[in-house]
Amino acid sequence: MNSSQPIDRRRALAAIGALSLAGCLGRAEEAVRPDNASGADNSAQADEPESGPPSDTTELDINGITKDPNGDAPIVTGEALHMAHAVDDLREAALSGGPGVDGIPAVDNPQFEPIADSNLGADKPVFGVVRDGEAKAYSQQVLVWHEIVNDEIAGDPITVTYCPLTGTAQGFDRGETTFGVSGQLINSNLLMFDRGTGTLWPQMLAQGIEGPLLGKQLSEFRLVWTTVGRWRDRYPDSEIITNDTGYQRRYGDDPYGGYTPQSGYYETDRTMFEPLAESDAAHPKSVVIGARTPTGAIAVDKERLLEERILSGTIGNERYVAVADPGLQTGYVYHDPDGATIEPDGDGYLVDGETVQPESLPLDRTIAYDAMFFAWYGYYPDATYVN
Amino acid sequence: MSTETTEEPDVVRTHLSRLSIALRGTLRRRDGRIAFVVGLIGYFLVYEAAVQNLARAIDPGTVGINVVDDPLALAFRSTGPFQYEPIAFFQLYAVDYLFAPVTAAIGLGLAALVAANLAIAYVSWRAPKACGIDRGRSSSAGLLASLPALLSGTVCCGPVLLLIVGIQATAGLMALFQWLLPIAVLLLVGSLFWVSKGVSPDAAV
Repeated sequence: MNSSQPIDRRRALAAIGALSLAGCLGRAEEAVRPDNASGADNSAQADEPESGPPSDTTELDINGITKDPNGDAPIVTGEALHMAHAVDDLREAALSGGPGVDGIPAVDNPQFEPIADSNLGADKPVFGVVRDGEAKAYSQQVLVWHEIVNDEIAGDPITVTYCPLTGTAQGFDRGETTFGVSGQLINSNLLMFDRGTGTLWPQMLAQGIEGPLLGKQLSEFRLVWTTVGRWRDRYPDSEIITNDTGYQRRYGDDPYGGYTPQSGYYETDRTMFEPLAESDAAHPKSVVIGARTPTGAIAVDKERLLEERILSGTIGNERYVAVADPGLQTGYVYHDPDGATIEPDGDGYLVDGETVQPESLPLDRTIAYDAMFFAWYGYYPDATYVN
Repeated sequence: MSTETTEEPDVVRTHLSRLSIALRGTLRRRDGRIAFVVGLIGYFLVYEAAVQNLARAIDPGTVGINVVDDPLALAFRSTGPFQYEPIAFFQLYAVDYLFAPVTAAIGLGLAALVAANLAIAYVSWRAPKACGIDRGRSSSAGLLASLPALLSGTVCCGPVLLLIVGIQATAGLMALFQWLLPIAVLLLVGSLFWVSKGVSPDAAV
C-alpha cells in the first residue's frame, strides 16, 4: 500500500557539505541536526552548541526592522519543532530577493465577499481555513502579490502566509501584532518578521531565527490548499478575499507562471535560488505534504497520496499516517502510535469500525502543509520521505 | 593648487556648454526632434514593460481606472530597487498600465538620457556638421548603456530577467541587480559627456 523511504543521510550530509564548500553554509558537518532516536526534545538539543536554536553568533540585521523585546509578540508554542540546520547557517543563507522590508506589502485590511458571488475561476487555487464554523478562503492570485494577509477569523487575530517560490501556504496566530515581508529569502522561502518584536521567522520553519523570540515556535494552524470550486462545494457559506487590498496590482497575472495549467516557475525543474540541500529523489517542483514534530519531519508525495488514499511512515520510532481528502484534493497527517486500522470509505475513512471525515480521524493530527519538494528537502534533508 | 580648483569647474562648464551646443543643434533639426521623441516614448514604454507596469491586458476589451484610497501615502513607498508603489491601475482595452509616479519619473529621466543619445547619434550620422559633432564621437555606443536599466526590474521575490532565463541567483548577482539602474545612468551621462568632447565650440548654434 505504501512505501516509506527515509532520505539517505549520507546524501543529505554530502549535499550540505557541497553547499558549505560553495560558501552557502558555514559548518557543513554541523548543519544537519542528528535525528534523536530516543525522542529527546528540542530544549535538550538546544544546549548543543553545534546545531539548532538558540544561537546568536551571526547576527542578521535587516535595515528597517527594529528589534523590541517589549513589543507585542505573536503567539508561540511551548515546544520548538525540529530543525535540521543550525540557526547560524540559516542566517548566513539569507539573501535579498530584491524588494526591501515591506517592499512586498502585506494586506492589513483585507476585504471579503461571499464565495458564491466570486467570479474567480473554479479551478483557481485558494488557501482555506475554518475556525468555529467560520470559513474563509484566500486566493493565490492575491497572495502571490502580497505573501501575507493579517486578518481575523472567529474573532481571533491570524496571519495567512504564502511563499510563491516554495509553494507553501501556512497560517499563524498573530496575537496583537502583525507580520510583514522582510524581503529576504532563505532556501527560496519567505522570511517574515513580526512588527511587534522584530523577530525574523522563516515561514516554513515557523521558528524565530533572529531577534527577541529566537528559538520560539509560532502557533500554527492548517491552511488547506485547494481550488475555489472545491472549497465552495465544501463550504458554500465561506467568504473569499477580494482584490480590494488597498494596493494596485495586476491581480490575475502571476509573475512566476501559472497553476492552471502548471507553467513557468511552477513547472520547471530549475529553482531561482540555490536550495540549502538538494536531492534527485523527486522533481524539485513536485508537491509534498510535510509535517514536523519536535524530533523530526515527514513528507508524503501529494499526488501519490491522492492516488493511494493512505500512506504511512515514521519519524524515529513513531508511526505517522497520512490520509487523502478527495473532495478538497488535500491530505492530513496523524500520529498513529498504535497502527490503527484505517480503510477508505467513500470520501471518508473507516477507523476501527467507525466512519469519519479525513480531517477528523480519532488520532492526534499534526500540522501539515503543501510544499515544493526542493524546498522541503532543503530545510529537512533528514526527513522521512514517503512516495 | 589654486589653478586646479578653478580649472575643474571650467572643464565641467566647457563640457556642459558643448553638450548644450550638440543638443540644441540636434533638436533644431526636424529629424533630430523626431529621433528624440521616438527615443523618449519608445524607451519609456519599454522600461515600463521591463518593470512589469505595462503589460498585455488580463481582461482584454476592458476599459477602466482604479485609484488607491490614499495615493500620497503610497506613491513614495519602495517596492524594490528604484521601484515604487503604483497608485492607479489603467485598463486600456488591450493593455494594462500600473501607474507608479516615482517609477514613471525615473523611467522618463532614463528615457530622456536615452533619447538624447539616440538623437545626437542619429544627427551626427546624418549631418555631423549640424551640431558640430566629431563623427567619430557619435553616441550610438551610449545606446547600449540603456540596456542595464531594462534588466533591473524585479517582481516579488526576484529579478524578472532571472525568472525568464532561469538562471539561479546568488547573493552577488542579486547585489549586482540593485546597481544596474545607477550603472545605466552613469553610462548614459558619461556617453553624452564623451560626445561633448568632440563638439566644436565654434559650431553654429
